Amino acid sequence: MAGAKKYHAAAVLAVWLLIVTFFMILNRTLDLEVFFVLSLIGLLVVAVLIDGAFSRPRYMRYLGYVIIVEVAIFAYIVAEKILEIIAA
Amino acid sequence: MRPRTSHIILVAAAVLLTLLLAGEAVDPVLYAAENISTAAHADPSTIEKRSPGDAASVIPLMDELLGHTGTLALTIKIKDYESAQRDLARYSELTSQFDRLVVTLDLSETDIAEFQKNNRQNQEAMAALLNDSQRLDELQSLEIEVLDGDQRMAVVYEGEALRQKMRETYTAYAKREPETTRIATHYGANATPYQESVEVLAEVVGAAEEWQVEWQDGNGTSAGGSGGVAPRSPLNITVTPREGRYGENLTIGGRYVDGVPGTPLTIYVDSRIAGNTTLDENAAYAYPYRIGRILAGPHLVYATAGAIFSEVATFDVLPAETNISLAIAEVNRTAVACTGNLTTEDGRAVLNAPVLLRLDGETLISTQTDGNGTYARTLILTGGEHTVRAEFNAAGYPLNSSKSGVVTIQVRGEGLSPFPFIAAIAAALGAGWYIRRRGLPPEPPVPEEPDIEPPPEIAETGPSVEIEGLPPRDAATILFRALRERLGIPATKTPRECARLAPDHVAFFERYERIRYAGETPTDEELRAMEQEALERDD
Amino acid sequence: MQRETRVVLLVLLLAGGALYLHTTTTTEEFSRHNIGWNGTSSLPAEEVRDLSRLDPGSTLLLLAPDRPFTPEEVGYLRAFLDGGGRVIIADEEGAANPLLADLGSEIRVRPGNLSSLERDYAHPGLFRGYVVGNDTLFAGVETALLNRPAEVEGGEPLIETSVLTWDDVDGDGRVGEGETFGRSVVCAREGNLIVIGDASLFINAMLPENPKFIENLQPVQIDAVHSRIGSRNPIINTLTWIAERPPAVAAIAALAILPVAWRFGRKRE
Repeated sequence: MAGAKKYHAAAVLAVWLLIVTFFMILNRTLDLEVFFVLSLIGLLVVAVLIDGAFSRPRYMRYLGYVIIVEVAIFAYIVAEKILEIIAA
Repeated sequence: MRPRTSHIILVAAAVLLTLLLAGEAVDPVLYAAENISTAAHADPSTIEKRSPGDAASVIPLMDELLGHTGTLALTIKIKDYESAQRDLARYSELTSQFDRLVVTLDLSETDIAEFQKNNRQNQEAMAALLNDSQRLDELQSLEIEVLDGDQRMAVVYEGEALRQKMRETYTAYAKREPETTRIATHYGANATPYQESVEVLAEVVGAAEEWQVEWQDGNGTSAGGSGGVAPRSPLNITVTPREGRYGENLTIGGRYVDGVPGTPLTIYVDSRIAGNTTLDENAAYAYPYRIGRILAGPHLVYATAGAIFSEVATFDVLPAETNISLAIAEVNRTAVACTGNLTTEDGRAVLNAPVLLRLDGETLISTQTDGNGTYARTLILTGGEHTVRAEFNAAGYPLNSSKSGVVTIQVRGEGLSPFPFIAAIAAALGAGWYIRRRGLPPEPPVPEEPDIEPPPEIAETGPSVEIEGLPPRDAATILFRALRERLGIPATKTPRECARLAPDHVAFFERYERIRYAGETPTDEELRAMEQEALERDD
Repeated sequence: MQRETRVVLLVLLLAGGALYLHTTTTTEEFSRHNIGWNGTSSLPAEEVRDLSRLDPGSTLLLLAPDRPFTPEEVGYLRAFLDGGGRVIIADEEGAANPLLADLGSEIRVRPGNLSSLERDYAHPGLFRGYVVGNDTLFAGVETALLNRPAEVEGGEPLIETSVLTWDDVDGDGRVGEGETFGRSVVCAREGNLIVIGDASLFINAMLPENPKFIENLQPVQIDAVHSRIGSRNPIINTLTWIAERPPAVAAIAALAILPVAWRFGRKRE
């Protein structure tokens, strides 16, 4: 199967996000920040698991960029929350 | 690789989704179950709980206040003035507590506010009766010692004034009783001590009058009067007009028969000093009194010239309606200035009066009007929408309370601070450095030679190689050859050249070079990874 | 291909589940098919549709009635009451007043906006009423959480509000001009007839707030024709109609099984 690992990774990520959405609906609260942070965690876990020691396939290259952008947004969210707590 | 349509669609969808979400990023909570309610009911699990606290203490406090009137009246009757003073102090403490409760619970348009007004007047009446009764007792003991005719007359006049005061105070107190009892029983408070206090105070006032009569009879003929009638004080007093509203001026005046012009006089309103004046050359006096912060209802006024007390005159203060206005202006991003005017119906300004600003229906901020009836206060608020209302609750004034309309303001709030952006950039740089260091370089390598793409037919099925049972370095060699073959690189190329030709697998070839030429031994894990890479097609 | 088929099947399964939930539940107030906060799907009650065949001595609940009663039905109810049965009418809007008049009762429901200053929640309509009468329905219950109740006039009072309660006519959440404090009766009884001015006591979100009351209520039958527990959704109504008729259920089961049996039968030949 061509690129089975790639499909596995995408499927796992999709299932994880579905589970997160399910629990958010159950809790009757849809919070974008929480969803984003949990998706980042999922992506990082998947990236670490599919990373082979000796190969650097194309998708891993671009995944690096995506991870950097998401970490930057995560740092922004955390900094905003800290400011909120200090101001209160 | 030719970009397939599905890839293009995927990328376009991802970009669209990111843009949509970015629009919502300002308010990240897209939906929260809060305060859900329909016309028929509300969902209790989404409504926040709060402690009932204040509301439950209203009726017990009313009970206590009424109970205190009973005990106070009794202590006054038995002339235990010390415990009466302590009782009175406790009573006024409870009264202030009740006042605060009425303000916080926003009850100023209910009959509980009516009860509060009456209670305040009762408290003042009790204080006056206590002090007058005590003074009357002092006079009683004084008159036994006094022999001099003038001093005796002074005692007579003062006694007469006190008697009149007590009678007027009692009459007003008794007049308030039916209404207060009605309100109290409506709320289930016990009004019996209060009703009993009225009777007890009647006895107290009766006893005071009896003393006067006794004194008259005991003294036989008294100067200036036939038996049984109290002599009139030479200092007379009238109030013109007999009634008024807040801000109006009344004239308190009269004549001092046989008085010396220039004698200083002190004017008392409700047993408190209101001012000083002197007799003019006709032995008359006139003092202008402005109705300010006193309660609505009947009030007593008398004057003293040295030790001589005048008679007691009454005047009525009528309640008036008030109007309060509120205007809000933005001062800067986080502060707003609230200003307004407090006037009576007739247009008189209410001076130095306490005004409450109710923020968001809950928080109360107090301020005061100045000498023109205008108040101004700056509030510092968080960003977002807020509602403000100005309230005047008229405690202690002969005025009715009033509220302004509710004004809604949008506060811009603090601007974006740079700290989160700095944090984001720092995190991006840190992540980039970490990823590069770990050997997962994000930038594409320098020579991208498209014609080295391996022809797809050859690399379709990975060659099956057996490396079980082989020593590690030999296994690595086999795997290297398998990968080289799979990628379609000619067998003459060295590992370093292969690394250059197939940039996706740089790490593999570099590692193999070290194993082969530097004598390093690959671990089992590395072998597994290399096997995976050599045999799989994972692009 | 097989992997993709599996994924597609999984997605279809999820979609099917969502569709099932969507079509067999509703968001109508008080509906038995509403599993949300304002439905009555968790209320343990048996539905009856025929008032002439009630068990004497049982309890009948009329929840937020919105259909008029015919004279025969009033007669059946009268007979049921005389026979010892207990009827509980829970109504917030006054729609039960004609029925109460027909039954010869002097109790009436007066809808309004009762709000209380003494309350545990931030919403003025959500407050506790105090049990003042003696009835087996409220045995062991001292207070009941009420949810925007209506006042009930007449009869013997069973539940009263605190004295700091008023009818908020202008809806501003505070006592204003023309509004006065006073105790209100929200539940009254006349013989075997109990009228509760708050139908919201029986919705899913309120059941855990008054557990002893719901326990005392059991076993209870609910009049499905006149109470507002049905639904206007045609799919749900069709499913309910079919479920009530065993022949229809059997017919549908046969319809499903026959093709499968025919196909397997053919294959063997």
